[in-house]
Amino acid sequence: MKYAFFLGCLIPAREPGYENSVRKIASELGIELEEMEGANCCAPFSIQSVDYISWLALAARNLCIAENMGLDILTLCNDCYESLLMTNTMLKEDKEIRNKVNEILADVGLEFKGKTNVKIFSDALYEDIGLEKVKNAIKEPFNGLRVAVQPGCHLTKPKRIHFAELAAAAALDDLVEATGAKSITYERKESCCGGPLRGVNDEVALHIAKQKLDGVKAAGADCIVTVCPFCYFELDMGQLEIKRHLNEEHNLPVLHFAELLRMAMGMKLEDWEVRAHRIPLTKILDMKEVK
Amino acid sequence: MSSLDAYFMREVANTPRGRGVLACIQCGRCTSSCLVARVVEEHNPRKLVEMIILGLRSEVLPGPLPWYCLSCFTCLDRCPQGGDVGETMFAIRNLAVREGNIPEGIAAQAQSLFETGRVVTPSRMALINREKYGLGKEPAVNVEAVQKILRKTSFDKLIYRGP
Repeated sequence: MKYAFFLGCLIPAREPGYENSVRKIASELGIELEEMEGANCCAPFSIQSVDYISWLALAARNLCIAENMGLDILTLCNDCYESLLMTNTMLKEDKEIRNKVNEILADVGLEFKGKTNVKIFSDALYEDIGLEKVKNAIKEPFNGLRVAVQPGCHLTKPKRIHFAELAAAAALDDLVEATGAKSITYERKESCCGGPLRGVNDEVALHIAKQKLDGVKAAGADCIVTVCPFCYFELDMGQLEIKRHLNEEHNLPVLHFAELLRMAMGMKLEDWEVRAHRIPLTKILDMKEVK
Repeated sequence: MSSLDAYFMREVANTPRGRGVLACIQCGRCTSSCLVARVVEEHNPRKLVEMIILGLRSEVLPGPLPWYCLSCFTCLDRCPQGGDVGETMFAIRNLAVREGNIPEGIAAQAQSLFETGRVVTPSRMALINREKYGLGKEPAVNVEAVQKILRKTSFDKLIYRGP
């Protein structure tokens, strides 16, 4: 399998460990990641809030780059996924808006033709690589680890663009369980982490993160596993802020799903990657030592 | 008593992503699905659509009301009318920005996008670390192409004017 690799903004800027884990897993499973030369930001929520047509044109520019490479896009972020998938779906379906966007793209020598598909890491693993192959790659399973999966909103919502809404969430649960861990149910599993309001209304964002963390804690999870870098940031960093501002401690380690899978595949995290977690991973790493 | 704008609903409905207001039956399922509504009394998606229908333009666009929504799209999936309240929020924000109502955090991301092609830019330390960790150079953005697109859509005029 070969993909046009869309890194987005947040991961290279703040979470290089996530990228590193994906690259290591990819090379182990025979997935080729081709860089997208000159690609821009996906144009997330904040940009869509400012101007509709600017969003579509910027997202479409990324889609065109992948089209010209003759590859499907692989994203690692729910926000990138939502923006690119929604734009791809709309431009494929609506000729009028496609023409309007193509008029803008002509200025930069591009044309949207509708020849690429947008995938997020967990879906690509599940649909293109297959659960069996992932299971066969597990060398050090996390037996007994109780994981609260945070799918994040745009892995499954809105239904209109995610034709198999429940399937995507179930696929992620299956992938997590392939590592030997147990994906537990908890209150508000499907709900938002609060992250989109960070920088717009921090207080509200923090309260919503807290409700989520309360549910995870009550269910007795050992850790949280995310697929979206914004959920990761909000739930990891958020715990320090909740401790400071709301005087409550959850102490729940947060892992990228790619980190969990990588460790289960027998590839240790580097020191710098362990240190990047604001809630220490000690409990989980100790478990790996003892096995 | 605020002034009424009889054309406000049509204005929203004609904004891209705003058509949903025409389908609203005021059932309130959006509000009961909304995480923010449980934390912030002022945020009530059903009521917001009602205000649009009533023409309360001067109460909806200038204040904080357009900016509470998480865009989690729960309401959008639950609306029995396919009314797309979560989408309508984008329409209202697009209009609010044109009235000069843009939160600092959003403006900062938009300006960063225009100047660097990214909403979040890596610090110098992050760039040095990338190379140290063996991840290579960060993929470069074609900023010229980004600016060409954003000038054509007049995005720059929206984000560089003060309130």
